[in-house]
Amino acid sequence: MDFLERFLKRLGFMVLTMVAMSMLIFFLVEIMPGDVAQTILGQAATEESVAALRESMGLDDPIHVRYLRWAGGFVQGDLGQSIYMRGVEISSIFWRRVGHSMLLAFTAFIFYVPVSILMGILAGVKAGKTADSVISFVGLATMALPEFVSGIILITIFSVYLEIFPIASLIPIGQTIWGNLNILVLPALSITIVMFGYVSRMQRSSMIGVMSSDYIRAATLKGMPRRYVIFRHALKNALLPTITIIGMNMGWLFGGLIVVETLFGFPGLGSLTLSAIKTRDIPLIEACVLFITFIFVFSTFITDMAYAFLNPKIRFKQGEV
Amino acid sequence: MNIFLLQLKKSPRAIIGLSVLLLWVFIAFAGPSMTTRSYTHMDMEYQMAAPGEGGHTLGTDALGRDVLSRIVYGSRSILTIALMTSLFSSIAGIIIGFTAGYFGGLVDTIFLRIMDILMAIPPLVLAMVILGILGNSTILSLTIIVSIAYTPATARVARGALLTCASNEYVDAARIRGESHFYIMFIEILPNTIGPVLVEITARFAYSIMMIASLGFLGVGLQPPTPDWGMMVIENKSIIRTAPWTVLYPSLSIASLVIAISLFSDFISKVMIHEE
Repeated sequence: MDFLERFLKRLGFMVLTMVAMSMLIFFLVEIMPGDVAQTILGQAATEESVAALRESMGLDDPIHVRYLRWAGGFVQGDLGQSIYMRGVEISSIFWRRVGHSMLLAFTAFIFYVPVSILMGILAGVKAGKTADSVISFVGLATMALPEFVSGIILITIFSVYLEIFPIASLIPIGQTIWGNLNILVLPALSITIVMFGYVSRMQRSSMIGVMSSDYIRAATLKGMPRRYVIFRHALKNALLPTITIIGMNMGWLFGGLIVVETLFGFPGLGSLTLSAIKTRDIPLIEACVLFITFIFVFSTFITDMAYAFLNPKIRFKQGEV
Repeated sequence: MNIFLLQLKKSPRAIIGLSVLLLWVFIAFAGPSMTTRSYTHMDMEYQMAAPGEGGHTLGTDALGRDVLSRIVYGSRSILTIALMTSLFSSIAGIIIGFTAGYFGGLVDTIFLRIMDILMAIPPLVLAMVILGILGNSTILSLTIIVSIAYTPATARVARGALLTCASNEYVDAARIRGESHFYIMFIEILPNTIGPVLVEITARFAYSIMMIASLGFLGVGLQPPTPDWGMMVIENKSIIRTAPWTVLYPSLSIASLVIAISLFSDFISKVMIHEE
């Protein structure tokens, strides 16, 4: 398959997924109990005033009209107005929160990717030895650990006993996140502990697979230094599956962010999503969930393209992978 | 079964995992009749009591409730929901994934595309939104919603398992005998995919615990006064400095259960892969 053809196909699928997901989210929220106009005005409101507000908000329009208005606004960058915050434009708070979450995700990323890959390589090369059993055990143990459990253990050690990092990730009023980068450390480490399992296990198994292949045996028999064989020859092929796993887990990372942000009170997209759900702020829920979906779909797309680019079988059009 | 026990003897990790899991199952069954304290009783003389004080083995929380009995009662709901979730999502996954893989062609293509689209939303986010909007989660609603959130993943595994078996001769034989599609799928093929299916169920069990604990932590799980491990953590997070045991013990309970199941499920997958 041609690279360009693959690109267009994936791009098309990405758009299709987003359209389908936006419909699903919209209708899901739509069928839920509760009347928006009633929520805004409170239980004491008269029937006439509720009806008037429904009219002015266009809530009585047919469902497809309302969906198209909502989705159309979204495409143009209009996220709508928050109900709970009395008509505040969602975009005025949304993008700052997204920025914070991006920074947190990025920090976690630069922690867990190198550590997990290096440990995975070590375990794969030393398969069956002590180093491998220790790394594999840690990876297995942390894989299904909820992020708040790893976070609580970190808080107990680093905040309660050692008092190095803050318990909560609060940004003092009037300051930006850039002056408070220390609030990122513990949340990022909590995510790192959980992601370590996936990535290091993947790296280990692909490393074992590559190390037993003929071309590596040939390189070793030629008398090349082991370090050179591992990092120059084996790693090139052994990294491909790991890159895919890292990319595919981006959406999962954002799910984990909700938990971590709630634990630390971090002002990001995840804690915004949860508070939107708690306050039944429907336009805000829709904006948050749709954006999380977009992050996932977009990172899957990028991963797929990176994979196609890095894999010479696809790059040089030699058959389909 | 003998091979299974023989393998188990050789794997200390699996023995530890299974023992801890069985211990929790025992606690869930017998624990409540052994703890004399109610999980809602507020001991006014001992609020935030340290472990051991006033007969509270693991201390009390800010309201003076016994941490140990809350953990013991909490083990019941989390084990029940997680077990049902891993079973239901696997059964639903087998039915959907088998149907798609067995009939192939257009059915399969549509199935794959729908699953790809559904997987674009993280299961935790999906469950959180639905449960949050529905409000007042119960054991039933948690089980149903978490099962639905996990079904795209289990369906893909089941489809893959079916495809590795579908080209076997016994399937052709059954087809020539004129057996129904239903019979071929579930009587002929299903027993032969028991390995991957078991692996999926045990792994799904660990993830279900993770998901249910997280939902409880986010406040959309079981509602008070029912004790829930995840909820205990977020309830007491603000007093972590003065009474760290109120968050540490529920966290460690979750960790021990999840790690035990992971160790056991890793063993299952090794045994099943070796056997095939």
